[in-house]
Amino acid sequence: MNKRKGRGRFIFFCLAPALILYTIFMIYPTVKVFEMSLYKWTGFVGEKTFVGINNFIILLEDDYFLRSLQNSILLIVVVTVFTISLSLTFAGILTREKIKGQSIFRIIFYIPNILSIVVISAIFSAIYDPANGLLNSFLALFKPGDAEPVYWLGDQKIVIYSIIIAMIWQAVGYYMVMYMASMSAVPVSLYECADLEGASHIKQFFSITLPLIWTNIRTTLTFFIISTINLSFMIVKAMTDGGPDGSTEVFLSYMYKQAYTNSSYGYGMAIGVVVFAFSFALSGIVNGVTKRENLEY
Amino acid sequence: MFRKVISGLLSVSMLTVLLTGCAANTGNTNSTDDTGVTTEPDTTVVVDDTVDQPAPPEEETEAGPSGTVKVAVVEGAYGIDLWNAVIEGFNGVYPDVQVELILDKYVEDIVGPAMKAGDFPDAIHVATGRPLALTESFIKDQAMVDLTDLMAMTVPGESVTVGEKIIPGFLDSNATNPYPDGKTYMTPTFFDPCGLFYNAALFEEKGWTVPTTWDEMWALGDLAQEEGIYLFAYPTAGYFDAVFYGLLYEAGGPDFFKSATNYAEGIWDTPEAQSVFDIVAKLATYTEPSVPANANQENFLKNQQLLLDNKVLFSPNGTWLPGEMADAPRAEGFEYGFTALPAITAGGDRYSFAWFEQAWIPAGAENPDLAKIWFAYLYSDAAADIFAQFDATVAIPGAGERLSGEKQLFYSIYDDGAKVALGNFAATTPVEGVNPNTVWFDPVNSLVSGDKTAETWIADVKAASDQLRAALIVE
Repeated sequence: MNKRKGRGRFIFFCLAPALILYTIFMIYPTVKVFEMSLYKWTGFVGEKTFVGINNFIILLEDDYFLRSLQNSILLIVVVTVFTISLSLTFAGILTREKIKGQSIFRIIFYIPNILSIVVISAIFSAIYDPANGLLNSFLALFKPGDAEPVYWLGDQKIVIYSIIIAMIWQAVGYYMVMYMASMSAVPVSLYECADLEGASHIKQFFSITLPLIWTNIRTTLTFFIISTINLSFMIVKAMTDGGPDGSTEVFLSYMYKQAYTNSSYGYGMAIGVVVFAFSFALSGIVNGVTKRENLEY
Repeated sequence: MFRKVISGLLSVSMLTVLLTGCAANTGNTNSTDDTGVTTEPDTTVVVDDTVDQPAPPEEETEAGPSGTVKVAVVEGAYGIDLWNAVIEGFNGVYPDVQVELILDKYVEDIVGPAMKAGDFPDAIHVATGRPLALTESFIKDQAMVDLTDLMAMTVPGESVTVGEKIIPGFLDSNATNPYPDGKTYMTPTFFDPCGLFYNAALFEEKGWTVPTTWDEMWALGDLAQEEGIYLFAYPTAGYFDAVFYGLLYEAGGPDFFKSATNYAEGIWDTPEAQSVFDIVAKLATYTEPSVPANANQENFLKNQQLLLDNKVLFSPNGTWLPGEMADAPRAEGFEYGFTALPAITAGGDRYSFAWFEQAWIPAGAENPDLAKIWFAYLYSDAAADIFAQFDATVAIPGAGERLSGEKQLFYSIYDDGAKVALGNFAATTPVEGVNPNTVWFDPVNSLVSGDKTAETWIADVKAASDQLRAALIVE
């Protein structure tokens, strides 16, 4: 009896630090965000005025917020679709096909992930430079000398896609490694059997690989939603600061500007609540829609 | 038993580490000491009898003010050496006052959280217009100390008051007096004229004259275009504040500027406002087309480089530009020229916006009186000489003359007939979703790229003006 008590105490003390940390740094701030979203406050020393759901009502009519919402949704959808397609393709090739320098490719694809976002932004700013950038210099080979260059970060119709390309480049390696890990666990006998049956490699990919790593893909879909929301803020902040004229503003960059630059902390927290609810709901929907029977091997 | 003891010790040590991590930073472990300097007071007491001191702080002895003044400063163009020299000079006058300096490029990140926890610096040198908007937040919260008595204090070692010493007019705008009560809550420190930079050597080579009216400007723009040179490039759209404010002054004078920046009803429908909108919209058509692509914090130097490469004729900026571009390559023979905005009509007034950094005292400061003494010292001739050694200028007459060479030329802009444009948009309580900079200046990028028409921009300005008018701080 005494032994069990001591064991319980030991487990309690072992868990306590993590629980306390989690409560202080996760649960408490989250609750605070919800609470602050109901106040009008500059964020420093002034009085907090309770305004109920007024911040949320203003949000509905705020064109700048709606544009950031559009941009964020576009980023989540396009980055997810392209990253998942590319990383699955590369993972499939590197796992199943015999090509020279597989390890080198694996490292090359993963390198963007170990670079900081600021470095990635600097690289892409150089690539997109209107006068001396890699892209425009390449395109100039096919255009007459006096042709107008493409303003990758200046033309408001394409600047968001320039951000998307940078994000996909950054993310492909990470997800590729995750998919490769689960693809390696698929028994080789299944592929041997499929070979004997005459199935092409593409058929094998769709009929064996994808179904057997589906659980892993579902998990990464949630990662995509969360990481796109977070990374888009960092890339936008470092590359365009939401410009030109707010055309690359995303959820969190707009939240930051409202909470700090516009001294509307409560309003910024209301945006935070919307982002929280949005990502929570989207993850739930994606999780529900992609639910399949677990295949075991 | 032994395992139990080990397990218990491990658990306790984990909890200790956790609690230590959560403990407050105190004493010498805080970030202040990473960047700050604390000077030791001398034993000799030097007191100037002419100094009209404010109410003595608690620690003050009969010999003079004493105690510690905590000063938070943005590390801008001027680094720690300047501040060390100023503190040394200050301690020469006030040996019993220790200066605890918090110096950082993003000093708001250091003092902001501390202030939320109730630990306020006594003096804050942070201008308006910074991304974290610390100063704007304190204006909106009406949480600054009234500096009227600072202006009545005598500058240490001199016979004039601070208010008399500061350049006339610098204490008359909402950049220092944000509320309708007309009282001064922020004092102007470092001061830089803003205007249009150009390559004087290029103008001489081509035989062009610097335009004095906007009509001459457009004519020059057409002429330069024939030679493949664009008229204009701005670093970021935010730099249009100085242009826009200057144009408001040119269009209707100081009263019109005041009405416009106080969001007076119908002000944006007046012919004066329309002339300002027209000039900005036309200037956008003369702007080098790659500018919006680089008009952000990461790449704005590329837009400034356009001027140095003779790809554009004019670039709006402050006198810090040559320092920022000191190591940049440039066209052969490049020579900085600096001029005020051209006049709207021939013979009309020309303006140059005077940017200055504000310094203020938060309402929660423990030693506001020591902070006022600190501010008063900054306007002394002794301090001005120290600032000049580092190519810095405070807002006192003749400060520019203390500088050397090129910098002196920039500060002579007002001697050549240009008038001083001062002020910015009036203080309001926060209006969610409406930031004047976003509505008034950011759309210039869209005007250049053609993504927005001038009419849409003006309509947005009017709508935002209506919202901000309703939120003006009136008492």
